[in-house]
Amino acid sequence: MYHHTHSTVGPRELPMARSMCWHCQSEVAGEYFCERCVKVQPVSKDLDYFTCLGFPRRLTIDQHQLETKFYELSRAFHPDFYQNKSAAEQTISLGNSAMLNIAYRTLRDPIERAEYLLDLEAGSVKEIRNSPPADLFEEILELQDTLSEYRAAGHASETESTLRAKLQSERNTLEQRQREMEATLQQLFVQWDTLQDRGEATDQARTERDRILKQMRENLSNRTYVKNIVSDLASTIG
Amino acid sequence: MAYSDKVIDHFNNPRNMGSFKKDEEGVGTGMVGAPECGDVMKLQIKVQNDTIVDAKFKTFGCGSAIASSSLATEWLKGKTVEEAQKIKNTDIVQELNLPPVKIHCSVLAEDAIKAALADYQKKADGALTDAK
Repeated sequence: MYHHTHSTVGPRELPMARSMCWHCQSEVAGEYFCERCVKVQPVSKDLDYFTCLGFPRRLTIDQHQLETKFYELSRAFHPDFYQNKSAAEQTISLGNSAMLNIAYRTLRDPIERAEYLLDLEAGSVKEIRNSPPADLFEEILELQDTLSEYRAAGHASETESTLRAKLQSERNTLEQRQREMEATLQQLFVQWDTLQDRGEATDQARTERDRILKQMRENLSNRTYVKNIVSDLASTIG
Repeated sequence: MAYSDKVIDHFNNPRNMGSFKKDEEGVGTGMVGAPECGDVMKLQIKVQNDTIVDAKFKTFGCGSAIASSSLATEWLKGKTVEEAQKIKNTDIVQELNLPPVKIHCSVLAEDAIKAALADYQKKADGALTDAK
C-alpha cells in the first residue's frame, strides 16, 4: 500500500548502507541485521528518518506505533548489548543508536516532523522560500511600539489601562489566528498524506504537491513570528 | 554565551530607531524576517542625489539582531547607493564580535539592506518611467 515515488522499495526492504554484509559478505535483504551471520548492519547516514524508523513519508503518524518501533530498534541497537562483540559491531551499534534517537525525536513532534519533511522535499520545489509576509511584519512592529509605550506608561495611569486594553484585544486576535493556523496546518497534513497515498505522477499531482509544500512552509514560518509576539505580549501584560 | 560590549551598547542605545513614511520620496524600505527564530527587521534608507542621507530601523528580535540593524543604519548613512551594496554580513560579524550561533542575525541585516536598496531602486526606476 505504500507508493514511493522516488524508489521502488517497499517498507520492509530498507535501503541500507550496503547491500552486502560487512562481515560475511552475504547479501543483506535490507533489514538491520544480516540473516546469515546475524551481525548488525550500519544504518546509512543518507537514510531519511522516516525510512530509518520504517515509516512512509506521511505527516500523520500513529504516535503509539512510532514509539513501539523506536523501542524495538533501541533494544536491537543498544550499545549495552554489544559490549562483548567486536569493535566494528560496537561502532555500528553506537552510530545506529545515535541516528535512531535523532530520527525519533524529529518524527515524534508534528512541527519538527513537518519541518523535516519540508527539508527533504523542498529541494525540488521552486521558490519555496516565500516572500516575507509584509503585513504581518508591519503588525508585529507596530505592536512592539505599543508594547514599549505600555512599558513606559506611568503605573496605574489612564494611558496604561487604555494601552493594556488595546494589547489584550490584540492578543486575543493573535491567539485566534494561531488556532486558525493550527487548523490549516492539520488540513495540509491530511492533504499531503492523501496525495502521497494516491501516488500519482501526473502534472496535476505535482502542482498539488508544490502547493501543499509551499503553504506548509508559509504556515510554519508565520507560526514562529506569531508565537514570538504572542509570548512577548503574554509576558508583558500577564 | 555573553554578548560583546558592542552588542550591548547598540542594544541599550540603539542608533536610528524609528521609521520614515514608506511612500516618501527617496525612501527605500526593506522588510525581512527569519522564520527559524521569528525575528523581524525593518530597515529604511532615505536617498538624496544617490547618497544615503538618513537611515532608520525597527527590529523585533534578540539583542544581536537589534545590534546588527542598528550598526547597519550607522554604516549606511553617508554612503552612496553603490557603496551600500558592498556591506557584507561578515563585516557586521567582525565589528560586533558575533558568535557563530548569531551569524544569522547579521545575514538578516544584510538582507534588509539589500531589500531596502532594491525597493529604493524600484521606486526610482518607476519615477523615471513616469517622467518619460
